[in-house]
Amino acid sequence: MILSSMENVVFGYGESPVVNGVSLDIHKGEFLGITGPNGTAKTTVLKILLGLLKPWSGEVRLNQEAFDGEKPVIGYVPQNASAFNSGFPSRVIELVRSGCHSRLGLFGRFGSEQERLVRDSLEQVGMWELRRRRIGELSGGQKQRVCIARALVQCPNVLILDEPTTGMDVRSRTALYRLMKHQVRHHGVTVVMVTHGLEEAGRYLDRVITLERLETESVETSANIGKTAADDRWEMG
Amino acid sequence: MGNGVTAMLAYEFMQRAFLAGALIGLIAPILGIYLMLRRQILLADTLSHVSLAGVAAGALTGMNPSVGGFAAAVVAALLIERLRKGYRTYAEVPVAIMMTGGLALAVVLMNFGRTLSQSFNSYLFGSIVAVSETQLWLIGGATVVGLLFFFVFRRPMYDLTFDEEAAGISGVRVRTLTTAFSVLTGMTVAAAMPIVGVLLVSALLVLPAALALRIAGGFLSAVVIAIVVGLTGIFSGLTVSYFYNMPPGGTIALILLAFLLLGIGLQKASVFIRRKRGVTEPSI
Repeated sequence: MILSSMENVVFGYGESPVVNGVSLDIHKGEFLGITGPNGTAKTTVLKILLGLLKPWSGEVRLNQEAFDGEKPVIGYVPQNASAFNSGFPSRVIELVRSGCHSRLGLFGRFGSEQERLVRDSLEQVGMWELRRRRIGELSGGQKQRVCIARALVQCPNVLILDEPTTGMDVRSRTALYRLMKHQVRHHGVTVVMVTHGLEEAGRYLDRVITLERLETESVETSANIGKTAADDRWEMG
Repeated sequence: MGNGVTAMLAYEFMQRAFLAGALIGLIAPILGIYLMLRRQILLADTLSHVSLAGVAAGALTGMNPSVGGFAAAVVAALLIERLRKGYRTYAEVPVAIMMTGGLALAVVLMNFGRTLSQSFNSYLFGSIVAVSETQLWLIGGATVVGLLFFFVFRRPMYDLTFDEEAAGISGVRVRTLTTAFSVLTGMTVAAAMPIVGVLLVSALLVLPAALALRIAGGFLSAVVIAIVVGLTGIFSGLTVSYFYNMPPGGTIALILLAFLLLGIGLQKASVFIRRKRGVTEPSI
């Protein structure tokens, strides 16, 4: 089932478009990779999908049926999520708890169910042991993992990750791909991930969309490449 | 000294000053934490300058100058939010535009009413006796509204402050909340002017927050530390300025600055001693 689609989308920041006639579909319950060389507007395409940028022309559709008529919960880990203000006064656990805010609303009580979700999310990214640490004291890769835990704690229908492995070592990167694959297989989450590391991530992805810069200096999708299913063993280091 | 303090508090203008200081000391440091984390600290200075133009306009038109300053700060806050749309890449540009415009307007308006110049000193540098009953009501109103705002919207404000984009995707009404936040900043800045003056109003916002952000472990503890530091600085500043006939704005700002430097020094000393003793954070 198509979850979201983009048709003939044109967008630019100045006078000329950086995205020109891009069309793509996202299927429910898939682990989709978006890749392409630098400057192919991968982040821009994600932001258009998320509704953060309005296209000059073309259509972006969200299939409400795919969410059983309910409001979709989207977990988003932006590019350079780890570059957040290091002086932000929070410990790891406090920041991840804040991922529950959207579900709790203004006055909802933070109960044992939320505590369990926070613990699960932190354990999944291997950060439970460091939950009391100030976020400013973490390494770039650790910060990135905390941001992923904060997205997971929302129990999202869709997870959108923009180059989430920045600053991570090989072991953490592999663990992340396995975790995302697990989310897709066992929790029905749709994961869209912008990545440069196809040689590593490729075996875990269900499908890859490659953005390429054309002669016109604008970007189009070039191909949808089917991938083999990866094993779903997962563990975070 | 005890009798001196009792005598000081017997004066009605000092009671008003302490009450106004307590109210501002509650709200300004909280606001300062959000402004610092959102990298918008220049906003406070800008709104105080625009507020000065409002004070002049109010005095010239026969309106209460304090109400004029209050209204100008709120309108300017709304305008800055609107201008931010057009300068997404350079978010500080609309702030600089408003600061220049506000100060220029204040100078020109002051020229029209030369008798205003004298009373302007109390707005520029703050004056204990400048706190009128109207101002006290304005300060009270701004504080109550501010405290309610930060209590009710503590969750979306936390999300917004950490990552505006991600907050928007998770359902936070970013535009409404940032506009309300800017208006609240305008109200607080205008309300704080009679105590510390236009030129030092950002001291009340920046200095307690700067110290709290350095030493606090969590968000709530940062808020509590900032309030305690702010209130202590204001009360001791008002007391010193009364006994030694010093300008309250400058005295409060200097005391807050001393707290900040002392806090940084103690923090560095603590880290040094821990290193000497070989206490290290657990590694992973």
